[in-house]
Amino acid sequence: MFLLPLWTDITTSFKSIHDIIYTIPVQPPLSPTIEPLITAFNIMERPLLNSLTFTVVATILSCLLGSINGYALTKIKFPGSNMVFLLFSIGIFLPYQAVLVPLVLTMSRLGLYNTLAGLILTHTTYGITITTLLFRNFYGLIPDSLIMAAKTDGAGTWTIYRRIILPLSLLPFVVAAVLQFTSIWNDFLFGVTLARGSEAMPASVALANLKGTTEFNWNVQMAGALWYALPVLIVYLVLGKYLIRGYMAGAVKG
Amino acid sequence: MAVKDLNLQIKDKEFFVLLGPSGCGKTTTLFAIAGLIKTDAGEIWIGDELVTSAEQGIHKPPQEREISMVFQDYAIYPHMTVFDNIAFPLEIRKTDKNEIHERVTKTAELLGVYQLLQRKPRQLSGGQRQRVALGRAIVRRPKVFLMDEPLANLDAKLRVQTRTELKKLQLELGVTTVYVTHDQVEAMTMADRIMVQRDGITEQIGTPDELYNHPSNLFVAGFIGSPEMNFIDCTLTEETNGLCLDAKEFRISLPAKLSSELKGHIGEEVIMGIRPEDLHESKSAVSDTQENAVRMTIDLIEPVGPYLLLHLRKGRVSLVATIKDTRSRAGQEVLIEMDLSKMHVFDKKTTKALT
Repeated sequence: MFLLPLWTDITTSFKSIHDIIYTIPVQPPLSPTIEPLITAFNIMERPLLNSLTFTVVATILSCLLGSINGYALTKIKFPGSNMVFLLFSIGIFLPYQAVLVPLVLTMSRLGLYNTLAGLILTHTTYGITITTLLFRNFYGLIPDSLIMAAKTDGAGTWTIYRRIILPLSLLPFVVAAVLQFTSIWNDFLFGVTLARGSEAMPASVALANLKGTTEFNWNVQMAGALWYALPVLIVYLVLGKYLIRGYMAGAVKG
Repeated sequence: MAVKDLNLQIKDKEFFVLLGPSGCGKTTTLFAIAGLIKTDAGEIWIGDELVTSAEQGIHKPPQEREISMVFQDYAIYPHMTVFDNIAFPLEIRKTDKNEIHERVTKTAELLGVYQLLQRKPRQLSGGQRQRVALGRAIVRRPKVFLMDEPLANLDAKLRVQTRTELKKLQLELGVTTVYVTHDQVEAMTMADRIMVQRDGITEQIGTPDELYNHPSNLFVAGFIGSPEMNFIDCTLTEETNGLCLDAKEFRISLPAKLSSELKGHIGEEVIMGIRPEDLHESKSAVSDTQENAVRMTIDLIEPVGPYLLLHLRKGRVSLVATIKDTRSRAGQEVLIEMDLSKMHVFDKKTTKALT
């Protein structure tokens, strides 16, 4: 039952317009064709590439910054660190819609409106709130004595991060990366606001545009959805086992 | 946790122990020496080098002090092999690769972990982890070792064994060591000198012998030694033939030396302290008019092995004595002789030693 939408998506993607009219959605195609997939790919190729670029870059950046933030917040006790953390936490609850107007203004003034760099900056900034929280919680589990030992062994703040903290962070990195990848990839609102109809258009917007015509070429829409879902699917398949371990690590170790 | 007015000079190559109950400020003191925390006032010198001075605003970070530290939970890096753990302080200092290899190998051999060099910490036992932590500390030959209860997480048997090895190692390497523990046996067996701390205040600094035989106050007297020293509330009175400790249930006439020392305190409330091993069962059947003997009832006899633990009582006074052997049984009365030359007298108000 849960897989029915996916199944429908797959069947419809391989149907010609004729088959769509004469079969019900769950039925396999009468004469399978990859035509819709090719058509969809041709339309979506550039947006998919765009999405892949800014999603990967923003994911990496937000994870890295979140990790550094988490380290600073847990292991370098600076005055006001709790206040800083509180501000970060509030950032998580900030609804996208609330920042749209200032965001567009800022981006256009920076000359980043309608660019991939603008999307990367936006998604990274929005992402570090949640990644900071995630890394902070994980680093809270790393005993302080480990940091003190590294200090007395002669390591400075940055060396400790690079040699001790980072190598111990595989699990939170996977969790944060999957979280960020899916949420940035699936984002529609920022994409449609910051890069509509431009060279930098994300795949989510392109997918929505597929249904914008007066025709009812559902097969192409479904094929587009299939292409769109593919990267996230791959990410989950590859990193899934680490993800579960990551969730467990937080639960058991504490 | 604050440490107040600490003034301390640790000698070169000395094994110095900070001893006290948990929360007494001993770890704070150690961390201040390490530079892991900043002090509000005062100076810390390591050798000829001023490393901390609150007044001059000097605070050298730990990595610039020539110290190395062993932590209670060992704090070995879980993602590195034993080799990399021990090599870490050398690598940070950009030591030559061949030299690192040589020194790590030598250290590992010294500590008996050579065959474990390629293992990860999770494959090691507690004792082995402790050795790795120790190896990491000694590999770079610092000026000072700082150890924060390094034996606390080992089981009893291993702790005793490691205690001896650690002491031997320290003698062999000849490195000044500051060692924190709450275990007075550890302190007594390993230390050249001990500082007893309580609530951030220094109670006494001295050799194990000084602390044991001449505790400067009630706290040190009670803290050092196991089983604990016996304490009896008394009043100091004057008799025709000298001074006398009046415990209401019995009186002890003091020998001339003690009498002259305590002359200024006649009529004061004092606490008499006597260690369990300084109480003996009187073999001669002399009468209880003997001036240093008290007739007491045995409440309980606990055989410890090398000696018996006698729980004695007379009225409201109860004492513990360690005695080699006795024919008496629980419930019987025995004549207990006190070795007055080993007796301590403390002021009840100030808790300071009067003798």
